[in-house]
Amino acid sequence: MNDLCIRMDGVSKRYPHFFLDGISLELSEGSVLGFIGANGAGKSTTIRILMGLVRQDSGSVEVLGHPMPAEQTTAKLDIGFVSEDMRLYGAATLAWHMNFVASMYPRWDKAYAETLLRRFDLKAEQKIKGLSHGQRVKAALLLALARQPRLLILDEPTTGLDPVARREVLGELMSVLRDEGRTIFFSSHNTLEVEQISDRIAFIDRGRLIALDEKEDLLDRWRRVRLMVPTGSVLPQIPGVIEVAGTERLPVLTTSQFNPGVVSLCEDRGATVQGVDAMTLEEIFVANVQSRRELQPA
Amino acid sequence: MNRQRINYAVVRHLILKDWYLNRGVILGSLPVGLGALALVLTGKQVTFLLCIILLCMVIVGVGAQLAMVTTVNERKEQTLAFVMSLPVSWREYTAAKILANLIIFLIPWLPLTAGALGVLLLPGATHGLIPFTAIMALEMLITTSLIVAAGIITESQAWTTAGIFLSSLGINVLGYVFAHLPGISAYMFGMQVRWTATAWTVLIAELLTVPLILGMTFYIQSRKTDFL
Repeated sequence: MNDLCIRMDGVSKRYPHFFLDGISLELSEGSVLGFIGANGAGKSTTIRILMGLVRQDSGSVEVLGHPMPAEQTTAKLDIGFVSEDMRLYGAATLAWHMNFVASMYPRWDKAYAETLLRRFDLKAEQKIKGLSHGQRVKAALLLALARQPRLLILDEPTTGLDPVARREVLGELMSVLRDEGRTIFFSSHNTLEVEQISDRIAFIDRGRLIALDEKEDLLDRWRRVRLMVPTGSVLPQIPGVIEVAGTERLPVLTTSQFNPGVVSLCEDRGATVQGVDAMTLEEIFVANVQSRRELQPA
Repeated sequence: MNRQRINYAVVRHLILKDWYLNRGVILGSLPVGLGALALVLTGKQVTFLLCIILLCMVIVGVGAQLAMVTTVNERKEQTLAFVMSLPVSWREYTAAKILANLIIFLIPWLPLTAGALGVLLLPGATHGLIPFTAIMALEMLITTSLIVAAGIITESQAWTTAGIFLSSLGINVLGYVFAHLPGISAYMFGMQVRWTATAWTVLIAELLTVPLILGMTFYIQSRKTDFL
């Protein structure tokens, strides 16, 4: 399936103290995009624009083939949205919320909602104000999933969850992924979670998209190369070096363009490759952000 | 921002949601208001004045509480994100908020206004007060419309509270002004109902003000770019 679920082209939005700067990204149907950024990087603004809740100053947005925000109501019929700052009505029960949402979604799956109730250990007759934070997140996720959305947009849904609740939420997301037609846009600053469920990764920093790639490609291309450079030799020039740490004799190079040829290149220049270390997504994200910030100070 | 047609089924669901979440306050206000009307029947002047004040407080209070809960609290308590995640456009949201506040407000307003007019129609009552009572009842509808508009447009507790304060002040000031208009004051305490041109003019102006305020609310909302 290669139909585009999301297409953003040069999307900008200016606020007094923040500028979302020309975001362009595409997400095809069935993909899971992990959208990583620090607090205030522009993740929520991007998502609000995607949902049609904020109008971009320039650029175009299409979600499930619908221009946004013009056709947001039609698009939202196929979107499940859960946000960290989304709350349900405290005075109403979960059952009331389920009926309310079901009344607006023709594809509401009652049986699946009941299954999720059991799986999340939630009681339909309980009022929302009596639920813990973890239960509220699971309730919101239930309401989003049971409407059978083609696109699931999750804005830091696991923030503030205890490890057990986080595992349950992620577990359910993993099971949703088995439905290959389901597309997920997952925003988080928890890189470990993103790494677990995503097949594509986007980094956003200070309102700019600084990376958008397949997860495996990203993890394969970023490496820390530990060298031993003999006295009198110069540091070999290897492609995509982001950072040089360590000492002059024992440098550690972080590269974003690693390939097997890098090792032979170093050895040809007289350096000894002591090790090539894989990097976690978090290390890649931090290195990427820091190098960009050094190049473009705020 | 959104050229799609209004989905009235969605608007109805949103109105029913606000009714469900606020039904306790609305239904609870009815016995208080009707109790105040019953006390008016005792015939004592001090009781009459106190009960009329209580009645006004109940009606204005219900409108203010409703507007605050359905608009300002929706943002403050972050339930707006939930509502706007549903297939709802700003037009449907605004239409639902205006209609919900108006319809739910009418639930106590209509019987209490009818009750007040009914009491004045009883034998021995000061029938001349009926036009002024009708004018003041509509004034309360305007007050509620203003508070609703402030709530929807600003979504701010501070601005809506300011709106409540100014509207309540406006009721007293306008009540004083209307009560001193020659076409109203001359017949107010008579035993006959006199629908003078002045009374009609004020009533019609009030009736037109309500849709004007609500229409302006819709227009200002349409110029917003951010709904969350």
